[in-house]
Amino acid sequence: MNRGVDEGEVFRRVAAVIAQVLDVDESSVTMESDLVADLGADSIDRMTLVMALEDAFQQRVPEEHLPTLTTVGKTVNFITERLRAASASSP
Amino acid sequence: MSRRVAITGLGAFTSIGSNVGDFWAACREGCTAVQPIPAKWRDFVRCNSPVWSPLPADAGGDGLVSDIERTKLDRVAVIAMRTAGEALANAGFGIERIDTKHNRYAIRGVAPDRTGVSIGTGVGGVTSLLSNAAHHMLSKQVPRLDELAAALPTAAPGLETIGRMRADIMIPFRANPFIVSMLMPNAVSANVAIKFGIQGPAQTACSACASGTVALGAALQAVRSGAVDVAIAGGAEYLGDDYGIVYRGFDIARTLASRDDPALADDALNRPFDADRTGFLFSEGGCGILVLEDLEHARRRGAPVICELSAYAETCDGSSIMMIDAEGTQIVRMLHGLLAAAGLSPEDVDYVNAHGTGTKVNDDIEAAIIGRVFGSRPLVNSTKSLLGHTIGASGALGAIVAALSIRDGTTHVCRNLTTPIADLNFVRGEVRQPIRAAVAQSFAFGGHNAAVLLRAPS
Repeated sequence: MNRGVDEGEVFRRVAAVIAQVLDVDESSVTMESDLVADLGADSIDRMTLVMALEDAFQQRVPEEHLPTLTTVGKTVNFITERLRAASASSP
Repeated sequence: MSRRVAITGLGAFTSIGSNVGDFWAACREGCTAVQPIPAKWRDFVRCNSPVWSPLPADAGGDGLVSDIERTKLDRVAVIAMRTAGEALANAGFGIERIDTKHNRYAIRGVAPDRTGVSIGTGVGGVTSLLSNAAHHMLSKQVPRLDELAAALPTAAPGLETIGRMRADIMIPFRANPFIVSMLMPNAVSANVAIKFGIQGPAQTACSACASGTVALGAALQAVRSGAVDVAIAGGAEYLGDDYGIVYRGFDIARTLASRDDPALADDALNRPFDADRTGFLFSEGGCGILVLEDLEHARRRGAPVICELSAYAETCDGSSIMMIDAEGTQIVRMLHGLLAAAGLSPEDVDYVNAHGTGTKVNDDIEAAIIGRVFGSRPLVNSTKSLLGHTIGASGALGAIVAALSIRDGTTHVCRNLTTPIADLNFVRGEVRQPIRAAVAQSFAFGGHNAAVLLRAPS
């Protein structure tokens, strides 16, 4: 059950944030893109990206999860799960 | 090498004007911006001073500092970068974006390694530290209070108290991973250097209320010595934390303007050099930036020369961390040194932009010193009578007022000055007269005394 959270829509919003933070063409962002190898992110960029995603989705990303968010797909899946969990816990 | 140093551009962000043009117009009209302190601050402590001088709501809008960058910056750095951009534009320098990812710019018309930065700040990014500290200490207390409230029966005694405790906790959305680079005082100068690709010295002066003036002195020396051709110099401060902790630091020391006379309106409590003064008006902060430039460099590129920055002097009382020396001996020595460095006599100075905080002791001593060194001829005012005290920005904003007063042959009133404490030529109405030379001076916690001397272009 997706509880109203569409992973495709999450991807589109994540791609838009990535394009803005990393200054890349949004069309070059795919679920398979590696943030460092394919999109040129350095460690500062990755922290910046996480904060931008937190603000965009109003979801906290606990710092222990930062090392695991290495690809766009992993990032989209993480956010989607957080949104679904939040949706499930809301009245 | 000893070169003449021109002021070719100005920028300002203050409670009475968010750019230098609006700021100066508001000064000339004697405007102030006084509001009751945020009501929330009174939930934590008894507040003696009922007023403050808040900044305009947002310093953004021109793309120079993006929303993404702002998540990693204390507001003091944002204010400084934007005000530096304004000053560079007013100096006639083109700026061009050369790095879209990091939103960085290049200054056209001067080499990056021939440009420097010198900006003073009293407390740097302290408000970011305070909000991160609140998150560090209290973020886990919020769910614990919620658990406690949920465990109690409806209408149980104590639920209201828990609700109040919950409401008193104001924490940011996250602990910011950039907090160290946000709070360090040198982040102000560093971020200006990064924003404009500046590769000469990027210095930070941290001398409390004299920081902006000390920074101008360092920049003057850098340009005069030939180390750089252009320096972005001034002061920046941001003091508006959620809990009023910075305000409280000054208020508990009884340095702030209070309402001893119930008949006085909010905007009449700040009264530098007046017999009924009670302390200074706490300001949320501000920024003043001056572009200092080798005079010949400025002439070669046809830049506007507002006036010259001719001399700087600095001393330290070396006696007390918070009290100004009662005799003002080191301030007098500083002013004599300033005049000697400029090759001028006291009677050559037509205007003194005083430190003029509005505290009892400071104003008494400063007024006596001005009379002793300059006599009662030069115009005297306090820009803090309009803005309140912007701490590390105040010296730079005073210097900006001095520069514009020279340019326009007029200056602003010393607001709320009804009963002057000394027989000085305080500005109490419209004046129009040539100002050949002006002194802007600052005194600070720590005993730091600093002053600059500005002259009309010759």
